[in-house]
Amino acid sequence: MAVAAVSAGGIADHIHPEPQGFVRRYVFSLDHKIIGIQYLITAFVFFMLAGLLAEAIRTQLLNPNGGFVAADTYNEIYSIHGSTMVWLVIIPMLTGGFGNLVFPLQIGARDVAFPWLNMLSFWIFPVSGLMLFSSFLMGAPTAGWMEYPPVSLQGAAGTSMWAAAIFLVGVSSTMTGLNFLVTILKMRAPGMTFTRMPLFVWGQFATAPLLMIATTALAAALAALFINRVFGVPFFDPTKGGSPVMWQHMFWFYSHPAVYIMILPAFGIISEVLPTFARKPIFGYKLIAFSSMAIALTGFMVWAHHMFTSGLAPFLQLPFMIITFVIGVPTGIKIFSWTATLWGGKIHYNTAMLFAIGFVGLFTIGGITGIFLAAIPYDLHVHGTYFIVAHLHYVLVGGSLMGVFAGMYYWFPKMSGRVLNETLGKLHFWLFFIGFNLTFLPMHWLGIEGMPREVATYDPQFAFLNQFASYASYLMTFAILIFFVNVIWSIRNGKRSGPNPWGARTLEWQIPSPPNYYNFKHVPTVYGLPYDFSQPLPYKGLDEELTDAPPVAAGAH
Amino acid sequence: MTAASLPLDSHGNVDQLYIETRELRLQGFLLFLVSDCVLFASFIFAYLYLRNSGQGWPPPGIQRLDVAFAAWNSVVLFGSGATMHYALENFKHGNFMRYMWFLLATIVLGAGFLGGQAYEYTHLIYGEHVTWWGSGIFGASFFTLTGMHGMHVFIGVCYLTVLVLQSAAGVYTRGKFFGITAGTLYWHFVDVIWVVLFSIFYLL
Repeated sequence: MAVAAVSAGGIADHIHPEPQGFVRRYVFSLDHKIIGIQYLITAFVFFMLAGLLAEAIRTQLLNPNGGFVAADTYNEIYSIHGSTMVWLVIIPMLTGGFGNLVFPLQIGARDVAFPWLNMLSFWIFPVSGLMLFSSFLMGAPTAGWMEYPPVSLQGAAGTSMWAAAIFLVGVSSTMTGLNFLVTILKMRAPGMTFTRMPLFVWGQFATAPLLMIATTALAAALAALFINRVFGVPFFDPTKGGSPVMWQHMFWFYSHPAVYIMILPAFGIISEVLPTFARKPIFGYKLIAFSSMAIALTGFMVWAHHMFTSGLAPFLQLPFMIITFVIGVPTGIKIFSWTATLWGGKIHYNTAMLFAIGFVGLFTIGGITGIFLAAIPYDLHVHGTYFIVAHLHYVLVGGSLMGVFAGMYYWFPKMSGRVLNETLGKLHFWLFFIGFNLTFLPMHWLGIEGMPREVATYDPQFAFLNQFASYASYLMTFAILIFFVNVIWSIRNGKRSGPNPWGARTLEWQIPSPPNYYNFKHVPTVYGLPYDFSQPLPYKGLDEELTDAPPVAAGAH
Repeated sequence: MTAASLPLDSHGNVDQLYIETRELRLQGFLLFLVSDCVLFASFIFAYLYLRNSGQGWPPPGIQRLDVAFAAWNSVVLFGSGATMHYALENFKHGNFMRYMWFLLATIVLGAGFLGGQAYEYTHLIYGEHVTWWGSGIFGASFFTLTGMHGMHVFIGVCYLTVLVLQSAAGVYTRGKFFGITAGTLYWHFVDVIWVVLFSIFYLL
């Protein structure tokens, strides 16, 4: 009877025959590794487009009177820049991209729980990206990535397109979150208990419910905005009883958790890179893991700290301020744990490690300015100024994007079988690090002195620092060009990596690079944490022969 | 696990894939319901926010909703929840014909609820001139939320109709009936949402 085979094999043990033919393998693929790479490529294309928009912004600000583009066009440019970077670059890279690529390997699964849903999630993403950029054709949104009414109600038709595009990419995120959550809960290899999961998996595990719950709330807000604009249903129209402030509540109830969606997976990447290149067990494994969950939970309780100037009752402002301060605690725990991991380690300064260390420094700056901003009196002073721009770029570029680059240098061998060039990589890091700080550090001063964000011109007294930041931003863009050159060059000419070029201990490095279609010949049994560098590897059964479970037709899920 | 309750595919073989993915599907479906719940919760938040920021409720010029009719209509929907429960239980116990009758009763009651809602909408729109876009936040929140719920009921009725056709074709066996479980969960979910909507729109 087949029942015995089933109970012996279990969920993780199914081997599908590998699909033949280009389309099933590389285009409409069900393989999580291919889908992860598809996510990364698509997101990097959008990253280039949004980067060009960023340079258009900086070029406009070279001159106090602007003059590079018209003021309306400038509004469209920064709105699409922000929307693209948040929804089409950082979130898809960290969840759909690295998430898909790495975490099923790390938990010893053969794929995610719902491969077909995974493919659907991916294919919605480029479509919604094209929709977002097509809004330029009909008058793009002009109220920034937050699209506050009433300005977003008055915007051209592109604003409705924007809402539809972000709604769609949100559907994709929701499905990804659901998929990842079920995968992590149900498909871990035998012996892989929660407290033996690699920290990148913990990062994804904390992010997935945020993707599922917060993004749905955003979908509601966007749907309301859409029907308000298209059918005149007055949710946000104050002349008919609606409330523009309600949009801010609905939007930030998503968008504050969204900043954790954009940083928790990056925390996970850093927690893999640091111990590997310090050759030392990660300090405070459980603290790092549980603090991610604490951040995810408290992240839902602080949204109104974005709204201190929106006429919130003072008795509501105070708890939001206090809980925001409290979030600094789990974040600080992580920073200290990473620092303690480095202490006394035998540190290898590879490019991935440089980006990880850079992350710790820059994210700390961004986090501390976040604590400034949580304080109501200070927030009232700098709200809507360049101080916010500086803060959010320190967190999202100095944090999330540095995490993405660390992940790219770290896992590129797993994707391609080749190592990215180290010389170009170090050049990339240093130019990027210096260019980034020279661009965004001066913005703190600009903001404290009162330069408003999202305006096409500015007072001549701010000219020097703005020009300084603009020239520095060209340096940053040049550094990113080096990165692209490095990737393209290394795909063909990079040094062959072998299965484990870094001597890392998580499960994905114990199988060939790139991995076989079915990931593991035999699903291993896990005996311990992957960070104890002095111990033998905690896996058994990796080298046994293919499991003899009967193949099932591909796409049967 | 007895041989009779093993999931079989259409050739009578034991369906391995189903056994392996049954738990995943259940969990995935429950999480889908959670995130659907958030969709309703967001709009309910919007409704309560707008309701409490205005000039009293209902806004001037608009009459209170007719509780009696909606209460009878709710009874119809909750009745369909009961019949759905008995449909699933009968299927589990192998009473196939009773299962089919209860399933059909659920569909009829669900469609009846939709009919009642259509009547109520018609009355509001043509009798009291309350519209989605022209009646301020009252029309906006009422029609959006009840419309979203009605859309869910409609999708449910379609899904249950598909279940009837599939069951008649013998797709579901005693060991393999996740489609029916999912339909039942979804239908109860829609019921629970209606309890909340009925309370906050008609009773509050």
